[in-house]
Amino acid sequence: MNIRTISISGIVAALYIAVTFLVQPLAFGAVQLRLSEMFNHLIVFNKKYFYGIVIGVFLANLLLSPMKVLDITFGVAHTAISLAIVIFLGKYVKNIWARMVLNSLVFSFMIFIVAWELKIAFGTPFFETWGVLILGEIAVMLITMPIMYAIHKGVHFDKLFKK
Amino acid sequence: MMEKMIFGRYIPVESVIHRMDPRAKLIIVFLFIFVVFLANNPMTYGLLGVFTFIALLLSNIKISFIIKGLRFLFWLILFTFLLHIFFTKEGELLVSWGFIKIYEGGLIQGIYISLRFFFLILFTSLLTLTTTPIEITDGLESLLNPLKKLKFPVHELALMLSIALRFIPTLMDETEKIMKAQQARGVDFSEGSLTTRAKAIIPLLIPLFINAFKRADELATAMEARGYRGGEGRTKYRLLKWDLRDTLALLILIALSVTLILLRN
Repeated sequence: MNIRTISISGIVAALYIAVTFLVQPLAFGAVQLRLSEMFNHLIVFNKKYFYGIVIGVFLANLLLSPMKVLDITFGVAHTAISLAIVIFLGKYVKNIWARMVLNSLVFSFMIFIVAWELKIAFGTPFFETWGVLILGEIAVMLITMPIMYAIHKGVHFDKLFKK
Repeated sequence: MMEKMIFGRYIPVESVIHRMDPRAKLIIVFLFIFVVFLANNPMTYGLLGVFTFIALLLSNIKISFIIKGLRFLFWLILFTFLLHIFFTKEGELLVSWGFIKIYEGGLIQGIYISLRFFFLILFTSLLTLTTTPIEITDGLESLLNPLKKLKFPVHELALMLSIALRFIPTLMDETEKIMKAQQARGVDFSEGSLTTRAKAIIPLLIPLFINAFKRADELATAMEARGYRGGEGRTKYRLLKWDLRDTLALLILIALSVTLILLRN
């Protein structure tokens, strides 16, 4: 693994925490959308963002979640598996917007892993929890698509690893 | 802002738990997730409670401090408890008040799941309360070392974690600075419709990302200039040492698991 990939991944993970911690969630009504979910969209620009996103989720759960190890296990599994699926399916989708929609769908579907965690920890009904989680995840992923695209226009996520 | 940072959760006091090898703590906390599910009657939950509170006492951290830190979870635990009380319809009917019906099974289930959640949070909090993030990274790197044979980039991942931990405070300061600069120009991050707020975030995130990636670039150049060549043949500044107390702690957890298996229904 080259040095640039390592340093960018570390910085992406640190950014993930800074945004999770400091930027208020986008809220509509009682539903709070965690803005840092937008980092998941980085994968559509370059598959090398995989490490940074997964480490960001790991650290966010380690430092900010009350359930620590349980959240780390299931949260990291959800992110890593979803990203792997998007990397695989992304080969067949070239358009960035279509990739972001695909990414949103995969993350929302795979959130059953978190529903499973909640069933184990709290005994909440699996399918109802999954349904609620899907709605929250798809909303935040779709809303953050234009935000991520606007940042991409200024930062050029796809070129950062190539310098 | 920094004082709100959860890093503050690490409490640097002298205790047997603080002195333990981070690898032992990681293994024990991970196993505890499974052990906690072995309890299924008053006796086993009691034993689990005693074990958790002894561990807390040994950490030398004030119980009141831990409870204060977990105060916001009270509502979550209460919600879980009520969910089970009202929706589990098993066993004898205890209370019937209009449409509200409380069954014995629901009450017991509610108490058990709330207790399980409470013990799980208390015990796993001990990991971050008594171990610095950098120690956790070192411990993880060491535990994952066997995966190197499967070409898993263990050293690189540990380095990414260390870089992230080093840069979190820097990037948080930067985020705050940019937020204040934008607020001084009249941007309001907390008011307006969803679209207005989403639009307000973009001028905050673009400079933040540009600065952050500039740092990543400088860091990569600095590492290259200093001849960084990966983990091969590298010596460590912080050395991990597995002691007798670590083996003992692990044995105590195994003994607890066996006892719980014997005592459970």
